[in-house]
Amino acid sequence: MKNTLPGFIGAAMIVLAGCSSKSAVTESPASASAPDTAPASSSAVAGPVLGDIFFSFDSSALSTEAQDQLKQNAAWLQNHGAQSVVIQGHCDERGTDEYNIALGERRAVSAKQYLTTLGVSDARLSTVSYGEEKPFDPGHNEEAWSKNRRDHFVTK
Amino acid sequence: MNVMRMKRISIPRLFVTLFCLLILPLTLRAENAREYIAIRKQGAGRISVVLDKTVAKGGRESEWARSVDGTIRSGLDFTGLFNLLPAPLNVRQGQAGALNFSALNSVGAEVYAGGSMSNQSGKAILDMSVYDALSGKLLMKKAYSGDETQLRSMGYRFCADLVELLTGKKCLLFGSKMVFVSNRTGFKEIYMCDFDGQNVVQLTASKSISLTPAVSADGKYLAWTDYTSGRPDLYIRNLADKTTIRVGKPGVNIAPAWRNSTDEVATTLTLDGDQELYLIRPDGKLSRRLTFSRGIDVSPTFSPDGSKMAFVSQRSGMPQIFIQEVEGGTARRVTFSGNYNTQPSWSPLGDKIAYSSLQKNGEINIFIINVDGSGLLQLTSGSKYNEYPSWSPDGSMITFTSTRQGGRKLFVMNADGTNQRQLMHMDGDQQQPSWLRAK
Repeated sequence: MKNTLPGFIGAAMIVLAGCSSKSAVTESPASASAPDTAPASSSAVAGPVLGDIFFSFDSSALSTEAQDQLKQNAAWLQNHGAQSVVIQGHCDERGTDEYNIALGERRAVSAKQYLTTLGVSDARLSTVSYGEEKPFDPGHNEEAWSKNRRDHFVTK
Repeated sequence: MNVMRMKRISIPRLFVTLFCLLILPLTLRAENAREYIAIRKQGAGRISVVLDKTVAKGGRESEWARSVDGTIRSGLDFTGLFNLLPAPLNVRQGQAGALNFSALNSVGAEVYAGGSMSNQSGKAILDMSVYDALSGKLLMKKAYSGDETQLRSMGYRFCADLVELLTGKKCLLFGSKMVFVSNRTGFKEIYMCDFDGQNVVQLTASKSISLTPAVSADGKYLAWTDYTSGRPDLYIRNLADKTTIRVGKPGVNIAPAWRNSTDEVATTLTLDGDQELYLIRPDGKLSRRLTFSRGIDVSPTFSPDGSKMAFVSQRSGMPQIFIQEVEGGTARRVTFSGNYNTQPSWSPLGDKIAYSSLQKNGEINIFIINVDGSGLLQLTSGSKYNEYPSWSPDGSMITFTSTRQGGRKLFVMNADGTNQRQLMHMDGDQQQPSWLRAK
């Protein structure tokens, strides 16, 4: 989780910069806005942004949007060959906890398989399901639920 | 509701009960009890009981009597079977202090229970008598003894005898325990408590995420799921010597269930890319695979003899409950009403499965259904999320979680859905209660 916060900062800066996609993949904001930043410190200052992908209720199928996002994530991973990624599968609070732990695993595995077909080495990708245990948005409405049905990518 | 309960007493079960009553060493008046049960068949609602103050001479004995009275009152109240009435002032009459049945009848009592506490060389002796208040017949007379520290268990033994006497069904509530999950420390950990929510003990302190505790029917092992390693793992603890092992198999390792009459526990692993149910031995070794279909298979629960397993499967699209023989054979779908049916719990009497259903109105409610798919009955409604049903060891009650008052809390109800109330008041959220079969 340690790279999540810089990731958010990155995402926020993209939105502020006028990029339309909330989940766009980019280099770290430091290197995007200040190309002269020393490479040694860039990973510590701001981690990469691998965009989340989102799912329908009780589904682990990849939508067109999710596939597009995964293609961008794959491109980034191919440019950063040293990075390993944990794919976290998450669910909304509806449905039951135990079933959702299993569903979260399917969501994470869906993304892993897709990234693998795009040429990312299997050895760099691991999965973990949190089910409903770590919601991104604690709200109790469809707006929150749609944000919580996601895969989240954490580099390590 | 008692009408329904009485009607379900099968003739063989009634015979077994009556046989037990006859051979009990102290006087249970089987003939009178049978008559009583027969009369109750035509009746309805709770049984009105006058629970008299236990008579005692001496300060110490009076203290014991007060303690036992409190236990009996709360125990009988917990069952939801009784309407407890105070004794009328003139409950005893004449020089000998004989019971005044017309006074009992005038306050609406169907049954009178009362007794005395005495001290035999430091030992507490509770002598209880139960009368049918309408006929004046003695239904039961029995003595309970123990030392000062056993007053609570003496009171509960009487409660269990009274329930069995008046309903014809064995009562295994008192003395039973349950395990559950709470986040009161800021982390989800496993806890154990008594059947009535008392005496809460924290069993894990992993400061991670601990989920879905399950204790084997013999009380030897606790299995649960824990994220200490960064991913969900199955842990098995020997409750006697407190040794704990991490099973360390790939997959979600969630919702373990002990297979009755064996030492094996079932859980969901992902060994070939799909979530399937497997049996694991207490030493963590894989025993064998149980399911073979694409999609999620999760949340096993076993018939009392361990020969059949009910579980949740995605094989028909949305999650539904299926039953299959453990030794193989095709799975049979049990639930057809509703699109999202999960969390099955097989009744210890073997005939029913309780489960939760996510409904179109957004509520989650508890249902019970016969194992053959008939007799669907909704137990909760209009109260937000009601989840994770688990039967009491005698099948008379169900514990579950509800968000009806805000946070997720433990509740109990009678198995017919009556008498729903919060089990305990504890900080944080509570979830995933599992009622132990063993004492």
